[in-house]
Amino acid sequence: MPNITFIEATGQSHVVDAVSGSSVMAAAKKNYVPGIDADCGGGCQCGTCHIYVEPEWRAQVGSPDALEEATLGFSCDVRANSRLSCQIKVTPALDGLVVRLPISQR
Amino acid sequence: MNVKPLHWDPYKPEYFSDPHPVFARLREEAPVYYNDQYDFYAISRYDDVQAGLGDYHTYSSSRGDILEFIKANAPIPPGVFIMSDPPAHTAYRTPLTKIFTPRRVAAIEPQIRAFCANALDPLVESGEFNFIENLGKEMPMRVIGMLLGVPEQDLKAVQREADAKLVTEAGKPMDLTGHSFTGEGFEAYIDWRMKNPSDDLMTELLTTEFKDENGLTRRFTRDEVVIICSILGAAGNETTNRLIGWTGKVLAEHPDQRREICDNRALIPQAIEEILRFEPPGPSVARYVAKDVELHGVTVPAGSAMCMLVAAANRDERKFENANTFNIHRERLPHLTFGYGFHACLGNALARLEGRIALDEVLNRFPEWDVDLAEAKLTSTSTVRGWETLPAYTSRSSRRPPTRKSA
Repeated sequence: MPNITFIEATGQSHVVDAVSGSSVMAAAKKNYVPGIDADCGGGCQCGTCHIYVEPEWRAQVGSPDALEEATLGFSCDVRANSRLSCQIKVTPALDGLVVRLPISQR
Repeated sequence: MNVKPLHWDPYKPEYFSDPHPVFARLREEAPVYYNDQYDFYAISRYDDVQAGLGDYHTYSSSRGDILEFIKANAPIPPGVFIMSDPPAHTAYRTPLTKIFTPRRVAAIEPQIRAFCANALDPLVESGEFNFIENLGKEMPMRVIGMLLGVPEQDLKAVQREADAKLVTEAGKPMDLTGHSFTGEGFEAYIDWRMKNPSDDLMTELLTTEFKDENGLTRRFTRDEVVIICSILGAAGNETTNRLIGWTGKVLAEHPDQRREICDNRALIPQAIEEILRFEPPGPSVARYVAKDVELHGVTVPAGSAMCMLVAAANRDERKFENANTFNIHRERLPHLTFGYGFHACLGNALARLEGRIALDEVLNRFPEWDVDLAEAKLTSTSTVRGWETLPAYTSRSSRRPPTRKSA
């Protein structure tokens, strides 16, 4: 099972097992990682599952498509390495992925 | 056994009180349904509706997102972004997105709570209240009015005009004669605001710069601001009103879950999501079919009108286990009530917050209630489905109806 590290804004780390084929957001929710609200449940609509991808993982994770870019307009403190975690599909290639959480989703 | 021929349209009152059985038949027997009386197609399965809403090349919003507008082929002025496609749509929507972020919306939580308190406090002693007359018709209107900068004394007139445009006579399509996209009295406010800027949305719309579809960086014109305010004023009133009504009705029918929510308010967000899934205020959105498309062996020709039956998609067992069961604890998967894709509801953060706060404030004063469906009234429009009046009674009330509606 691929594992993912979520680092909160406080610096606290959570390492979770993720299910290939489901989303990074789902991995966070299933493992009760704090700091991801995911109001819409994964529909690329609300902007509250926002994460920052660590630099060494950006190429592997890829860039948002046009819809995700538009929805990131709802998120707080968007940066070049921002992604909506509901739109990142977990694959074996993402084993060891490290992402950071924003201070707040709202 | 005689099976009734499959039929559905958005106008017949018989489909309003409980459309879900006919939606089930559509999903199974006619996933691409054609209605020859009004000449439209309809799709009802989750995957088809989601994919359709995401495919603006095939399913265009440029002729309107309401069935009657598409059939009338009426010209749509610039600025009516809800009835446009990318790139024009993107140009208008992008500057508006920053106004409706979860962060901006969270900042007005105290005012939303104050509106709820003003609406509900006078009713606590009597033990009875009306989800629509007292709350649904009052709080959302005040919130969007406050955001836009409409003076308090004019809110009701604005609401009446917005609602009148969307009401249909039972059994009939909307009458579009004399319809205009402007109105609701916004021109006067905007002209006044241009001379007297404030910290409201109207002022922000007048001063914000954006890159239009031709690549020119400019401000919105006065006419565009009028149109945008009209759209936001209409959208912010009725749909959220309906969410509050469905909250009252659905939770009255599921008192165990209501009790859980009352005892643990952290359940409110998922409860509101499940209410939205179960009874969407906007059960159907329409699109213009821009090119021939084949789905489930049916060819839908270019030029057709297509209804995306969001309410049917939300009950699709292929997506939601035990879809016809109301369950606030179900695994959270995205419902299609706010749509999907570039046109997904701009105000979704505001609607969610208003729905959550309304439920919280009702529970603060009325931990349980029964609704009197005999005295309630369901409204018929081609865009919005919900309660026009929904009386509720608690144990404190001296006059409970003889037949109690509870699960």
